[in-house]
Amino acid sequence: MSTILSTISVFFIPVIITIIIGYGLYKKAAVYDLFAEGAKDGMATAVEILPFIIAIFIGIEAITSSGAMEWLETLLGPVFELAGIPKELISLILLRPVSGSGSLVLAERIMQDYGVDSLVGRAASVMVGSCETVFYVLALYFGVTSVKKMRHAFAAGIIGYIAGIFASVLICRIM
Amino acid sequence: MMNYIWAGMICLGIGFACFKGTLGSFTDGLMSSCTQAVEFVISLIGIMAVWSGLMNIADKSGLIEKISRRVRPAMHFLFPKEKDDQTIAVMLMSFVANIFGAGNSATVFSLKAMERLDDENGKSPYASDAMCMFTAVTMSMVQLVPVTIIKIRNDEGSADSGDIIIPSIIAGLISMAVSIVVCKLFERKQRNVNHS
Repeated sequence: MSTILSTISVFFIPVIITIIIGYGLYKKAAVYDLFAEGAKDGMATAVEILPFIIAIFIGIEAITSSGAMEWLETLLGPVFELAGIPKELISLILLRPVSGSGSLVLAERIMQDYGVDSLVGRAASVMVGSCETVFYVLALYFGVTSVKKMRHAFAAGIIGYIAGIFASVLICRIM
Repeated sequence: MMNYIWAGMICLGIGFACFKGTLGSFTDGLMSSCTQAVEFVISLIGIMAVWSGLMNIADKSGLIEKISRRVRPAMHFLFPKEKDDQTIAVMLMSFVANIFGAGNSATVFSLKAMERLDDENGKSPYASDAMCMFTAVTMSMVQLVPVTIIKIRNDEGSADSGDIIIPSIIAGLISMAVSIVVCKLFERKQRNVNHS
């Protein structure tokens, strides 16, 4: 099952590229020129988002490297434990929304400390596999727009994230 | 909103670093994170250029219009007001790239989609329903094979590193369903306020 899914994933990008270029040729479009024209546009977008990315990176670094995270952990830990989440996972739950690479490292350490195939190890894997870096994504996506009030995007992201956390632990207990 | 969150993060960080007496390493970390940000964008420029180039071909050859017409009924539930072929196509590509674990490509499509939605929203300071729904769905989009985590599990000597795939998909679907429901509830609440 997992090998079939991996194979599909590997084929995804080449297939898309073939379809686009193939269709372009079929329609007798100037694919090379169009590609260069679009690529130029894409590079401009990349440069435009740089200031926002720097801002997000600094903010995240400030909160993760200063020890503020540990404080949040001791503050929120009992709440999660009361809700049936193993306390070994709390630091991961708090780090995941802000840092993708950081949470991967942390998940690896959790697996080393408590065992890859233990409940905690598996739940950590499922969390990283299914829950997104909510804060980071919101900051980045809205960074390229002129939006100042995100309205319910924030609530939807956080509530969905929390649902994903509980689902991860619950499913790992069952399966 | 972002103003307060961002300022809060920085001030909280500085406050804690002061309190713990680690201001020196804190500053170093802060400065090196700027460099990381630039490196990240540089790594994104190439991918961004490639996909923008390919999407331009797909657009001018009429492929986008064709596909977008096909998927419009499916997208209609999430984005009832969306009419633009290009926007529907980039949103679709963002979802698809997410599902297949092409993370950076997905980011590129999502940013394109957000820019287009922003234009359609008249560059308003208030996020549109479509923007909220789009971020909610992409944030909780299921990934078919979480490749990185499977590799880590393999390295750590798991007996079956792939046995988290199905649980991940189920957990992701639950998270996505909840996000969509939250968005729909807010949309409905807003409509009622406007009517009365």
